[in-house]
Amino acid sequence: MKKNISLFRQLFDVYCREFRLVVHDQGIILFFLFLPLAYPVIYSLIYNPEVVRDVRMVVVDHDRTSRSRELVRNIDATQNAWVIGYAAEMGEARRAMDSHKCYAIMEIPEGFGQKIGRGEQANAVIYVESSLLLRYRGLLMGSNAVAQAMGAEIRSEKIDLVAPLASTITDGNLMDIDNVAMGNIESGFDSFIMPGVLILILHQCIVLAVGMAGGAKRERPELIGYNGVNAMPSVAMTMLGQMLCYITILIVPVFFLIHYVPLIFAFPMAGSVWQIFTFLVPMVLACMGLGFCVQGIVWERESVFVIWVVTSVMFLFLSGLTWPRYAMPPVWMAISDCIPATWGLEGFIRMNTNGASLSQVSGDYLHLWILAGVYLTLGYCVQRWVVRPSLNKGYDSYGFVRVREI
Amino acid sequence: MKTTGFKAIFVRSVLQIVRRPIYWVAFFFLPLFIFLMMSSLMSEGLPFQVPAAIVDKDGSTVSREVSQTLAGMQLVDVRKTCNSFTEARHDMQKGDIFGYFLIPENFQQDLLSGRKPEITFYTNMTYFVPATMLLKTFQATALYTKAGITMNVLEAVGATPDQVTPLLLPVNIEARAIHNPGLNYAIYLCNSFVPCVLQLMIFLVTCFSLGQEIKYGTSVKLIRMAGGSTIKALAAKLMPQTIIWMVIAIFMEAWLFKINGYPVYGSWFWLTLSELMFVLACQGMALFFFGLFPNLRLSLSISALTGILSFSIAAFSFPVESMYPAVGIFSWIVPTRYNFLIYIDQALNGIDIYYSRIWFVAYIVFMLLPLLLVRRIGKCMEKPVYAP
Repeated sequence: MKKNISLFRQLFDVYCREFRLVVHDQGIILFFLFLPLAYPVIYSLIYNPEVVRDVRMVVVDHDRTSRSRELVRNIDATQNAWVIGYAAEMGEARRAMDSHKCYAIMEIPEGFGQKIGRGEQANAVIYVESSLLLRYRGLLMGSNAVAQAMGAEIRSEKIDLVAPLASTITDGNLMDIDNVAMGNIESGFDSFIMPGVLILILHQCIVLAVGMAGGAKRERPELIGYNGVNAMPSVAMTMLGQMLCYITILIVPVFFLIHYVPLIFAFPMAGSVWQIFTFLVPMVLACMGLGFCVQGIVWERESVFVIWVVTSVMFLFLSGLTWPRYAMPPVWMAISDCIPATWGLEGFIRMNTNGASLSQVSGDYLHLWILAGVYLTLGYCVQRWVVRPSLNKGYDSYGFVRVREI
Repeated sequence: MKTTGFKAIFVRSVLQIVRRPIYWVAFFFLPLFIFLMMSSLMSEGLPFQVPAAIVDKDGSTVSREVSQTLAGMQLVDVRKTCNSFTEARHDMQKGDIFGYFLIPENFQQDLLSGRKPEITFYTNMTYFVPATMLLKTFQATALYTKAGITMNVLEAVGATPDQVTPLLLPVNIEARAIHNPGLNYAIYLCNSFVPCVLQLMIFLVTCFSLGQEIKYGTSVKLIRMAGGSTIKALAAKLMPQTIIWMVIAIFMEAWLFKINGYPVYGSWFWLTLSELMFVLACQGMALFFFGLFPNLRLSLSISALTGILSFSIAAFSFPVESMYPAVGIFSWIVPTRYNFLIYIDQALNGIDIYYSRIWFVAYIVFMLLPLLLVRRIGKCMEKPVYAP
């Protein structure tokens, strides 16, 4: 019984000490509060227009008939394209594109109207500058829609020419085709990328903050009562106390990220926020475990920036958000498996955007718990055999770096 | 050995880099790892064989033909045949498939009796790239089906095939992506993101190395070694880094355009010049940050913030003209944006250098930016204060 009380006492001491440390350290507060509160807003604002509308286009019309003008009008009327003007020939259009005035050129060959009149297939080409695939994607969709619509009209006009009275059987449109976008219903870029980025932000802010807290302790252990003389709480209790402290601080940012940001920017919100919260618990634990591991190589608080910030890019690509996991080479798939954000992001997107329940993402959930277990164990080892000994040495452990390397 | 002067500071700076493992990681390991990762991850160009399902509620000859056509398409991998809409939707929520193709009940019957059945396909747009590829494939399958049936019906009423064919698609508009006809995703992403990674690392390392001097009070010695000249101190301190970064930038260029073979339709000279100036521009920008906040943590924070935001604000995927104007203007304040624009003009599109001239001027502006704050940096280096 006595031992239990002392364990609670230890836990409480660590919790309070860690809280003091975090609250008094602007750097850590920046990661814990500023990062999850400000970043998602800035990011969402960048992509908030969602779709690429009105890609500027120049038309080279070699035909100049009512049919070719109709085509141009129809293209211009789609939300994807904006015809800024006509060019007399391709050279002029090229110059407009080279001087960044337009991103697409539509060329209508001579005889376009004539071919339609004769009942032949009429062709037109849109050349799209391919630096940004979203522009191409929009124009592809837009031009397809126009071609279908004009085609249907022409078909119903001409159908009697191919077979007498054919129009009594059909107008040429025998079936309808419909596409339904699931989850992200307006196919917006913000609603596509942001749910994933939200989870990445949470992931990185935890790892960075925990890493920096470790650096802060190793730099000046004496300031927070770590030295070789005082009895220190056990490693496990220390970690537990620290984790409880971080969780206390993180509650508000987490709910802001998973509930209020989607609400503010009208992202799809098909899931239950409590289920999502439950789902993210093991991810938060795994991130803390990862942070405890990172502490092993963070000698001073600021070096965490240099070694960890760029991993965000790595994790974004390995998560399968932009490049799906099924198409990854096995090596990268294996690395991606080891990152908590991969599973957290996948599960969160499915729950939040596709409306999956916790049981439907049980695979991801299980992976997250496994990762949490692995990283916390690894973190314990790092704390016990790397960080703790250097804290015991106190000020000196860092002193040699200072003298020799700076 | 002399203990003052440009050369002495240079040697000191080299030793600092060599002795601390963190510099090895930041200069070599991280950038090179990411170069390798990005290009090898996307080496296939497009994520072919998107997992999909088909829901055939009809089970007739026509619907089976449609299923077979779909299964034969290059971009999809029809993994499942589901019995109901709900089953397919659950599979999508579980992440097994990215979309499904639904053939309604009585499809064949309705088709033959002219009751216009509807084919619907569902794509999970929360994953943009695979979903777009699915959409394209589903659409093509549906159109082929429609064309086939229209042809049968019209031939049945007496039309000849050469009369019917043009009627299937009377107007054909082809959209062609110039110089990236296969829509290779690696070309599109690596050429923008990889330089941006380099920019982030340059920002961080520059601010870190200078901030260290302030943190540990060694900046006083540095200024003394330079005989009191801040510019000389900074130039000598950063010169070894500049050399390393330039070597890495050239390697990056070779990696992207030679080894991976991403297209270069323009001049290698301008492309190389752009990479070299890009390094200097990034260092200039980092120095500017350091001048604004001559403090290790704050300058690193602002570097990290700008560096990471650059991936979005530099408009690599979402065009500036579609952003809110008040947000879009910020795309012009990061060097990597100009690197991207020069890459588009000089490598991808291969147009005359005349059209890119402004972007090179922007690099020079970034290089000159820190001159505004040299005095402030100098003062802080003479009286270093470390605020955690």
